[in-house]
Amino acid sequence: MFNLIRRDLILQKRQLLIFAPFVCFFIFMNSHPALIFLIASVFIPLNTYAYDEKAETNILLNSLPYTRKEIIASRYVGAVVYMVLSIGFSSLALFIFNKPFTVTDMAIGSSLFLLFAALTFPLFYILKPGYISTVVIIGFIVTVILFQAAENFLAQHLTAITEFVTGLSTTTLYAGSAVAVLTLYAVSWIISSVIYFRKAF
Amino acid sequence: MENVVELNNVSKSFKGFSIDHMDLQVKKGFVTGFIGANGAGKSTTIKMMMNLLRPDNGEVKILGLDYETHEKAIKERIGFVYDGNVFFEGLNLKDIKRIVAPAYKSWDHSLFAQYVEQFELPLNKPIKTFSKGMQMKVSLAIALSHHAELIIMDEPTAGLDPIFRRELLDLLQELMVDGERTIFFSTHITTDLDRIADYIAFIQNGELIFNQSIHEVAENYALVKGGMELLDRDTEKSFVHVHRAPTGFEALTDNISAVKNTFGNEVIIERASLEDIMYYVKGGKNVV
Amino acid sequence: MQIIISNSSKEPIYEQITNQIKSSILAGELEEGTAIPSMRKLAKDLQISVITTKRAYEELEKAGFIYSIVGKGSFVAEQNLELMKEKKLKVIEEQLNSVITNSREIGLSLNELQDLLKILYEE
Repeated sequence: MFNLIRRDLILQKRQLLIFAPFVCFFIFMNSHPALIFLIASVFIPLNTYAYDEKAETNILLNSLPYTRKEIIASRYVGAVVYMVLSIGFSSLALFIFNKPFTVTDMAIGSSLFLLFAALTFPLFYILKPGYISTVVIIGFIVTVILFQAAENFLAQHLTAITEFVTGLSTTTLYAGSAVAVLTLYAVSWIISSVIYFRKAF
Repeated sequence: MENVVELNNVSKSFKGFSIDHMDLQVKKGFVTGFIGANGAGKSTTIKMMMNLLRPDNGEVKILGLDYETHEKAIKERIGFVYDGNVFFEGLNLKDIKRIVAPAYKSWDHSLFAQYVEQFELPLNKPIKTFSKGMQMKVSLAIALSHHAELIIMDEPTAGLDPIFRRELLDLLQELMVDGERTIFFSTHITTDLDRIADYIAFIQNGELIFNQSIHEVAENYALVKGGMELLDRDTEKSFVHVHRAPTGFEALTDNISAVKNTFGNEVIIERASLEDIMYYVKGGKNVV
Repeated sequence: MQIIISNSSKEPIYEQITNQIKSSILAGELEEGTAIPSMRKLAKDLQISVITTKRAYEELEKAGFIYSIVGKGSFVAEQNLELMKEKKLKVIEEQLNSVITNSREIGLSLNELQDLLKILYEE
């Protein structure tokens, strides 16, 4: 399975060259650090799916000595691995350019990424090849817009929400969101496995 | 004799096409040619052998193992060559090797290097710049570099020029010398099989018409030619299909001795080529 | 060992192989105990399918011309010369019979025929 995850780096040699400028662009744009973490995390998995929506890729992977379970697992584990690496890289870049960020930003960025991954990954196995990238890219843009809208919404209706949130302890809040996100990710993993298992190539 | 592939009572249905209760055995150490018209079910059968497609019913056994419990062990020992390129076309061969090689426990780097040299494959050019023949050689080099015991090829010669086809046949023949390898080879170009096939499996509309050694095929099927006056409802019974012309008839029989009994020396009996068999069987039994 | 295969011959390929190996053995070109190529090697050399050479070897074995030892290969078998002689004699007898029939048709006497045979034999 490690090979399947490593495969993404070999496949995306060229794309990785634009990874650094891509992240730096958002840093210079003074984007919210959480958003930068999210964008950086999405980069590799999304590129992987651009390859993997092709029928040939699935025929190849399924003809090699891998089980379908492993192929799906490599996507989900790989996404987390690359998320960690991307967030590490982005933090370094933010630090170098002297932009402030907090651990909370990281937590929000990675939670949003996992949420995004949990919602979109199964789509790749449901939708027909060719449409998937479009759907996901549009989906991603919508998510980002919603994220900003949510920020505005939060700013406006802060009192009601803060009242609710302050009612909870910080730990409960973080732990609760973490559990929710991870559960969703796990459910998504299971759904993808079931769909992929039944697929014909 | 040992069977490397066994399909037992396998069924798979799609909209407008189905394979019903197919039994197919592929014998170890021999080349089995899998023939049939386009759309007859060759690719579907091969996909079921590769577990790219699951049968609705029935059992698929490869090297004595089933996919439910031994998927990795089976695929470790299969080499595959598909009609089109399945490798990431933007990558060069070196990178493809870096992706594919670690998947196999038994990958042999020096053997791969040897085939790359023998096939004159460039390591640093993207696969999409390769000709069809070269892409096929890439698949073959990969299949051979992990010591595959069963090589499954889906239309490997389609779109290849005659010289390339011949080279491929030479190579396959060399592979058969030690007797450890089995080749299952689908094609609609039957002349490819004249030279190397030991067994012929013939599929038509999702149904396996026969799976016989080339000697059995030659002994069972023949072309019969004679005058129209010889044909009547009774004599036609020994023919699979009859083609009539003002100059006489030509028919395919799957029962040579019956034809000899009925017509004696009044007809000419000739060897039927695989193409003749495919053509006449498509016409259906006793269709006029 | 030389074998020439004709793809356009009416004679099946396996028969062409058996016949050619048989005549090499009978002519003494392949001596008793000589190893002959494995059927897989021969198939590759002749560019034909393995099952064809397999069948040829099986027929040769059945007819007692070769024998196979698992793991070692195939060898030319000892030929029963007495039996072979007997068979040949039978063939000669048949051929002579047709010579006699032909001779009678054109009225050739036994003496004349013997003279002719003598000349041809001593040639």
